[in-house]
Amino acid sequence: MQYQTQLNRNQLVDLVLTQYFANIDRKDLDGILACFHDSALVTIQTSFALHEGKASVGRMFADLFARHRRITHKNISCTVDAKNGRIAAHYIEELVANDGTRTVFDNTAFWRLRADRFQALFVYESGAQML
Amino acid sequence: MPKPGYEYYIDMVTKRYFDAVDKQDLQRVLDCFHAEATLQEMTSSTEHCGREAGIKRMFEGLFAAHSRIWHGNFVHTVDVEGQTICSQFSVEVTPRASGEELRYENCNRFYLADGKFDRVFVYMSGDNLLK
Repeated sequence: MQYQTQLNRNQLVDLVLTQYFANIDRKDLDGILACFHDSALVTIQTSFALHEGKASVGRMFADLFARHRRITHKNISCTVDAKNGRIAAHYIEELVANDGTRTVFDNTAFWRLRADRFQALFVYESGAQML
Repeated sequence: MPKPGYEYYIDMVTKRYFDAVDKQDLQRVLDCFHAEATLQEMTSSTEHCGREAGIKRMFEGLFAAHSRIWHGNFVHTVDVEGQTICSQFSVEVTPRASGEELRYENCNRFYLADGKFDRVFVYMSGDNLLK
Protein backbone atom coordinates (compact mmCIF):
# COMPACT_ATOMS: atom_id res chain seq x y z
CA MET A 1 0.00 0.00 0.00
CA GLN A 2 1.32 3.44 -0.95
CA TYR A 3 0.06 6.12 1.44
CA GLN A 4 0.03 9.89 0.99
CA THR A 5 1.92 12.32 3.16
CA GLN A 6 3.03 15.93 2.84
CA LEU A 7 5.80 15.67 5.41
CA ASN A 8 9.15 16.81 4.10
CA ARG A 9 12.58 15.39 4.89
CA ASN A 10 13.11 17.44 8.06
CA GLN A 11 9.61 16.69 9.36
CA LEU A 12 10.06 12.95 8.80
CA VAL A 13 13.37 12.97 10.67
CA ASP A 14 11.87 15.07 13.47
CA LEU A 15 8.97 12.62 13.88
CA VAL A 16 11.34 9.67 14.19
CA LEU A 17 14.01 11.32 16.36
CA THR A 18 12.29 13.80 18.65
CA GLN A 19 8.80 12.32 18.88
CA TYR A 20 9.23 8.55 18.51
CA PHE A 21 12.67 7.60 19.87
CA ALA A 22 12.91 10.44 22.41
CA ASN A 23 9.53 9.51 23.87
CA ILE A 24 10.53 5.85 24.15
CA ASP A 25 13.66 6.86 26.05
CA ARG A 26 11.47 9.01 28.36
CA LYS A 27 8.95 6.14 28.67
CA ASP A 28 6.25 8.59 27.57
CA LEU A 29 3.64 6.17 26.24
CA ASP A 30 1.14 8.87 25.21
CA GLY A 31 3.86 10.69 23.30
CA ILE A 32 4.80 7.50 21.45
CA LEU A 33 1.23 6.58 20.59
CA ALA A 34 0.57 10.09 19.23
CA CYS A 35 2.97 9.17 16.42
CA PHE A 36 0.70 6.31 15.25
CA HIS A 37 -2.67 6.09 13.51
CA ASP A 38 -5.34 4.11 15.38
CA SER A 39 -5.11 1.39 12.72
CA ALA A 40 -1.29 1.27 12.64
CA LEU A 41 0.55 -2.03 12.25
CA VAL A 42 3.85 -2.74 13.99
CA THR A 43 5.73 -5.81 12.80
CA ILE A 44 8.86 -7.15 14.47
CA GLN A 45 9.95 -8.83 11.28
CA THR A 46 12.87 -10.82 12.65
CA SER A 47 10.57 -12.64 15.09
CA PHE A 48 7.29 -12.38 13.11
CA ALA A 49 5.54 -10.59 16.01
CA LEU A 50 2.60 -8.47 14.82
CA HIS A 51 0.87 -5.69 16.79
CA GLU A 52 -2.34 -4.48 15.15
CA GLY A 53 -3.82 -1.14 16.20
CA LYS A 54 -2.80 1.49 18.69
CA ALA A 55 -4.00 -0.49 21.73
CA SER A 56 -1.81 -3.46 20.86
CA VAL A 57 1.14 -1.17 20.11
CA GLY A 58 0.61 0.46 23.49
CA ARG A 59 0.65 -2.93 25.25
CA MET A 60 3.93 -3.79 23.51
CA PHE A 61 5.59 -0.63 24.80
CA ALA A 62 4.03 -0.89 28.26
CA ASP A 63 5.46 -4.39 28.56
CA LEU A 64 8.89 -3.18 27.39
CA PHE A 65 8.81 -0.33 29.93
CA ALA A 66 7.74 -2.64 32.75
CA ARG A 67 10.70 -4.96 32.16
CA HIS A 68 13.39 -2.28 31.78
CA ARG A 69 14.47 0.53 34.05
CA ARG A 70 16.35 2.34 31.29
CA ILE A 71 15.99 2.44 27.50
CA THR A 72 18.37 4.42 25.31
CA HIS A 73 18.48 4.88 21.54
CA LYS A 74 21.66 6.35 20.08
CA ASN A 75 23.79 6.63 16.91
CA ILE A 76 20.57 7.00 14.93
CA SER A 77 21.15 7.30 11.20
CA CYS A 78 18.14 7.99 8.97
CA THR A 79 17.51 7.08 5.35
CA VAL A 80 14.78 9.40 4.09
CA ASP A 81 12.53 8.86 1.06
CA ALA A 82 10.23 11.88 1.45
CA LYS A 83 8.80 11.52 -2.05
CA ASN A 84 7.25 8.20 -1.05
CA GLY A 85 6.53 8.89 2.63
CA ARG A 86 9.05 6.37 3.88
CA ILE A 87 11.90 6.62 6.35
CA ALA A 88 14.29 3.98 7.69
CA ALA A 89 16.70 4.25 10.60
CA HIS A 90 19.69 2.33 11.81
CA TYR A 91 20.22 2.68 15.56
CA ILE A 92 21.76 1.24 18.66
CA GLU A 93 19.25 0.30 21.37
CA GLU A 94 20.55 -0.17 24.89
CA LEU A 95 18.23 -1.78 27.42
CA VAL A 96 18.88 -2.08 31.13
CA ALA A 97 16.52 -4.63 32.65
CA ASN A 98 15.07 -4.26 36.14
CA ASP A 99 17.69 -6.72 37.45
CA GLY A 100 20.48 -4.58 35.94
CA THR A 101 21.20 -6.82 32.93
CA ARG A 102 22.35 -4.67 30.00
CA THR A 103 21.51 -5.69 26.42
CA VAL A 104 22.56 -3.84 23.28
CA PHE A 105 20.90 -4.24 19.88
CA ASP A 106 21.96 -2.98 16.46
CA ASN A 107 18.59 -2.54 14.76
CA THR A 108 16.97 -1.20 11.62
CA ALA A 109 13.40 0.11 11.42
CA PHE A 110 11.21 1.19 8.52
CA TRP A 111 8.24 3.56 8.84
CA ARG A 112 5.50 4.24 6.29
CA LEU A 113 3.70 7.54 6.72
CA ARG A 114 0.04 8.30 6.11
CA ALA A 115 -0.70 12.02 6.43
CA ASP A 116 1.27 13.16 9.49
CA ARG A 117 1.65 9.89 11.41
CA PHE A 118 2.93 6.32 11.17
CA GLN A 119 0.67 3.82 9.42
CA ALA A 120 3.20 0.99 9.55
CA LEU A 121 6.45 0.22 11.33
CA PHE A 122 8.73 -2.73 10.65
CA VAL A 123 11.56 -3.50 13.07
CA TYR A 124 14.50 -5.81 12.30
CA GLU A 125 16.47 -6.67 15.44
CA SER A 126 19.99 -8.01 15.78
CA GLY A 127 20.52 -11.06 17.98
CA ALA A 128 17.89 -12.37 20.39
CA GLN A 129 14.52 -10.73 19.87
CA MET A 130 13.29 -8.29 22.52
CA LEU A 131 9.91 -6.98 21.26
CA MET B 1 30.68 9.75 -11.88
CA PRO B 2 27.80 12.20 -11.31
CA LYS B 3 25.61 11.50 -8.28
CA PRO B 4 23.13 8.76 -9.30
CA GLY B 5 19.39 9.52 -9.36
CA TYR B 6 16.54 7.75 -7.59
CA GLU B 7 16.01 5.11 -10.26
CA TYR B 8 19.66 4.10 -10.21
CA TYR B 9 19.38 2.78 -6.65
CA ILE B 10 16.28 0.70 -7.44
CA ASP B 11 17.88 -0.73 -10.57
CA MET B 12 21.13 -1.44 -8.75
CA VAL B 13 19.41 -3.43 -6.03
CA THR B 14 16.77 -5.26 -8.08
CA LYS B 15 17.91 -5.53 -11.70
CA ARG B 16 21.62 -5.90 -11.08
CA TYR B 17 22.28 -7.28 -7.57
CA PHE B 18 19.33 -9.50 -6.65
CA ASP B 19 18.76 -10.58 -10.26
CA ALA B 20 22.37 -11.80 -10.34
CA VAL B 21 22.00 -13.51 -6.95
CA ASP B 22 18.83 -15.28 -8.10
CA LYS B 23 20.56 -16.41 -11.31
CA GLN B 24 23.61 -17.48 -9.24
CA ASP B 25 25.83 -15.33 -11.48
CA LEU B 26 28.77 -14.76 -9.15
CA GLN B 27 30.66 -12.30 -11.36
CA ARG B 28 27.63 -10.03 -11.83
CA VAL B 29 27.02 -10.14 -8.07
CA LEU B 30 30.62 -9.18 -7.29
CA ASP B 31 30.56 -6.39 -9.89
CA CYS B 32 28.06 -4.57 -7.65
CA PHE B 33 30.65 -4.21 -4.85
CA HIS B 34 33.75 -2.10 -4.33
CA ALA B 35 36.95 -4.08 -3.81
CA GLU B 36 37.10 -3.19 -0.11
CA ALA B 37 33.37 -3.59 0.53
CA THR B 38 31.95 -5.31 3.59
CA LEU B 39 28.74 -7.29 4.02
CA GLN B 40 27.48 -7.85 7.55
CA GLU B 41 24.69 -10.21 8.59
CA MET B 42 23.30 -8.42 11.63
CA THR B 43 21.03 -11.04 13.12
CA SER B 44 24.03 -13.31 13.73
CA SER B 45 26.89 -10.75 13.70
CA THR B 46 28.64 -12.39 10.74
CA GLU B 47 30.92 -10.08 8.75
CA HIS B 48 32.33 -10.74 5.26
CA CYS B 49 35.14 -8.43 4.17
CA GLY B 50 36.45 -7.76 0.68
CA ARG B 51 34.81 -8.36 -2.70
CA GLU B 52 37.30 -11.02 -3.82
CA ALA B 53 37.70 -12.56 -0.37
CA GLY B 54 34.95 -12.77 2.25
CA ILE B 55 32.04 -11.67 0.07
CA LYS B 56 33.04 -13.98 -2.78
CA ARG B 57 33.41 -16.94 -0.40
CA MET B 58 30.01 -16.22 1.14
CA PHE B 59 28.22 -16.26 -2.22
CA GLU B 60 30.10 -19.36 -3.37
CA GLY B 61 28.82 -21.09 -0.26
CA LEU B 62 25.28 -19.78 -0.74
CA PHE B 63 25.14 -20.92 -4.36
CA ALA B 64 26.68 -24.31 -3.59
CA ALA B 65 24.09 -24.97 -0.90
CA HIS B 66 20.91 -23.91 -2.78
CA SER B 67 19.34 -25.01 -6.05
CA ARG B 68 16.91 -22.06 -6.11
CA ILE B 69 17.12 -18.52 -4.73
CA TRP B 70 14.42 -15.89 -5.28
CA HIS B 71 14.08 -12.34 -3.97
CA GLY B 72 10.86 -10.34 -4.42
CA ASN B 73 8.07 -8.29 -2.85
CA PHE B 74 10.42 -5.33 -2.58
CA VAL B 75 9.70 -2.07 -0.76
CA HIS B 76 12.53 0.43 -1.01
CA THR B 77 13.45 3.52 1.00
CA VAL B 78 15.81 5.51 -1.20
CA ASP B 79 17.88 8.45 0.02
CA VAL B 80 19.67 9.98 -2.97
CA GLU B 81 21.25 12.65 -0.78
CA GLY B 82 22.71 10.01 1.53
CA GLN B 83 23.61 7.56 -1.29
CA THR B 84 21.71 4.90 0.62
CA ILE B 85 18.93 2.46 -0.16
CA CYS B 86 17.18 0.34 2.47
CA SER B 87 15.12 -2.51 1.05
CA GLN B 88 12.56 -4.87 2.56
CA PHE B 89 11.85 -8.07 0.67
CA SER B 90 10.92 -11.74 0.76
CA VAL B 91 13.41 -14.53 0.04
CA GLU B 92 12.65 -18.08 -1.01
CA VAL B 93 15.45 -20.64 -1.14
CA THR B 94 15.61 -24.36 -1.75
CA PRO B 95 18.54 -26.11 -0.06
CA ARG B 96 20.09 -28.84 -2.22
CA ALA B 97 20.34 -31.07 0.84
CA SER B 98 16.66 -31.10 1.77
CA GLY B 99 14.85 -29.92 -1.35
CA GLU B 100 12.38 -28.14 0.92
CA GLU B 101 11.59 -24.50 0.20
CA LEU B 102 12.38 -21.99 2.97
CA ARG B 103 11.04 -18.44 3.17
CA TYR B 104 12.45 -15.37 4.91
CA GLU B 105 11.34 -11.76 5.34
CA ASN B 106 14.53 -9.73 5.26
CA CYS B 107 15.89 -6.23 4.90
CA ASN B 108 19.17 -4.85 3.63
CA ARG B 109 20.79 -1.46 4.09
CA PHE B 110 23.02 -0.62 1.11
CA TYR B 111 25.49 2.27 1.40
CA LEU B 112 26.92 3.22 -1.98
CA ALA B 113 29.95 5.18 -3.12
CA ASP B 114 30.44 6.08 -6.78
CA GLY B 115 27.51 3.88 -7.71
CA LYS B 116 28.68 0.64 -6.12
CA PHE B 117 28.06 -1.04 -2.76
CA ASP B 118 30.53 0.02 -0.11
CA ARG B 119 28.80 -1.39 2.97
CA VAL B 120 25.85 -3.78 3.08
CA PHE B 121 23.97 -4.81 6.22
CA VAL B 122 21.56 -7.76 6.17
CA TYR B 123 18.82 -8.61 8.68
CA MET B 124 17.18 -12.00 8.32
CA SER B 125 14.13 -13.56 9.87
CA GLY B 126 14.88 -17.06 11.12
CA ASP B 127 18.27 -18.78 10.74
CA ASN B 128 21.23 -17.14 9.04
CA LEU B 129 21.77 -18.30 5.46
CA LEU B 130 24.78 -16.10 4.77
CA LYS B 131 27.50 -18.07 6.54
